Amino acid sequence: MRVTVNNLTFAYTQKLVLSNISFSLKSGEFLTIHGKNGTGKTTLIRCFLKMLKVNDGMIYLDDMDINHIKTFSNIGYVPQKTDFNYEFPITVFEILSCAYLKKRDAYYTKIINDFDLNKIYHENINNLSGGQLQRVFIARALLNRPKLLILDEPTVGVDVDNIKTLHETLQNLKQEGITIILVSHDMEFCQDITDYYLILNELGDYEFKKAGDNNVSS
Amino acid sequence: MFLASVFKDLFAFDFLQYALLAGLLVGLLAPLIGTVVVIRRISFIADTLSHFSLAGVCIGVFLSKLINWKIFDPLFMGIVFSILGTFVIEKLRGFYKNYKELSMPIVMSCGVALSGLFISLSNNIDSKYTNSLLFGSILSVSSTDLITIIIITVIVFIFIMFTYKKIVTLCFDEVYARVSGINVKLLQLGLTIILALVISLFIDIVGVLLIASLMIIPVASAILIGDSFLNTVVSSIVFSEVSLVSGFVISYHANVTTGPVIIIINILILIVIMLIKKIRSSIASKKK
Repeated sequence: MRVTVNNLTFAYTQKLVLSNISFSLKSGEFLTIHGKNGTGKTTLIRCFLKMLKVNDGMIYLDDMDINHIKTFSNIGYVPQKTDFNYEFPITVFEILSCAYLKKRDAYYTKIINDFDLNKIYHENINNLSGGQLQRVFIARALLNRPKLLILDEPTVGVDVDNIKTLHETLQNLKQEGITIILVSHDMEFCQDITDYYLILNELGDYEFKKAGDNNVSS
Repeated sequence: MFLASVFKDLFAFDFLQYALLAGLLVGLLAPLIGTVVVIRRISFIADTLSHFSLAGVCIGVFLSKLINWKIFDPLFMGIVFSILGTFVIEKLRGFYKNYKELSMPIVMSCGVALSGLFISLSNNIDSKYTNSLLFGSILSVSSTDLITIIIITVIVFIFIMFTYKKIVTLCFDEVYARVSGINVKLLQLGLTIILALVISLFIDIVGVLLIASLMIIPVASAILIGDSFLNTVVSSIVFSEVSLVSGFVISYHANVTTGPVIIIINILILIVIMLIKKIRSSIASKKK
């Protein structure tokens, strides 16, 4: 999926968070968004998902203005671990089967097998480790057959082995042509597969650069 | 012994059969909607809407005494106000960024004020009627009321059957629900209208003061023991039905108002579950 952002500006009441951000990604490209706490990483994602109304600027997905998209399709989203209710009494089976709005089919089974979720399929999410939970969320995001995958801090609270597995998964997804936007504190994670960096600074300032390139556009 | 006499009366009197059937359906509906309300952390909305709906009922009583139009039927006015209340809450939330919850006490106060005003304006209003509005009167359920309850139960079940997966996804992770192609606004609107319908329906049966308790307490008990969404819903329905049937039998035998007895039994169930949970966890920690 092609992603184009033109002069995006967003402010919370009086605090400017994102200022005139512009960049574009082709299908299958990988963008890592980096920045300190409070620089607007999650805010930018929320603008993408129409959860926040931008003050100015446009976002296009495959040349379609997101304001004209009534319901999203082909977008996979992996939330930050703090973004949902852990006390919610729900099993892995319920999360995945409810997220898959169609009847369970061979694709569904493939995703369950690919992410090795059979053993924890009927577990309550409270009993899962950080790595297991992350696998569940990535599997859920892929059930949508996304062309754009957005991951918000997927490595937080995940052990080294699971971070390696996550890296391999993202590498494979990129090879399949899925556009990936990764929000991460960790600059080293996925540096070998990242095509572009978007570095957000305070007061809405930003840098957009190609991986391995020192020329910066802002 | 007293069970036998209740059963004997149950077979003898139609009104008791209506009341029990109505109770069983309410026992099914309340926790079903209550689970969504609790998990979406909007428990207070049930209380707010019930008070605002009461205003509709009272205005209906006042107007129907003045003009004999069907549109002013108190139950219908209650439903209208309950739905209206959800929109007023939503509008008020837009005025505050950090104090969105203020919208609920404002709407609730408005509901109570309007109810008080229109009760006092309605001449010759029976105190039994106002009492039943506050605490319910399940024994006064008529065959027409029962048909209304059955229709609303069917509507709720059809709605839930078609949207179950979407509701679970929305409750668990709203952001994901948005990106996965679910029309979140429409689903929320549907849920709100269902909630408003159920609340206004309950006014007659359990009374405005106890509606929220009937929706929330069985779920509060079930959430302590549920390890899946379905399990939590089923447990809450079981607790709700147990409290309704036993509350019905006890209150009939003791000749007291049914609504409060049902709620007290619900609270007792909650206390027992809390105690069992506490004992279990202390045994488990000692074993470690």
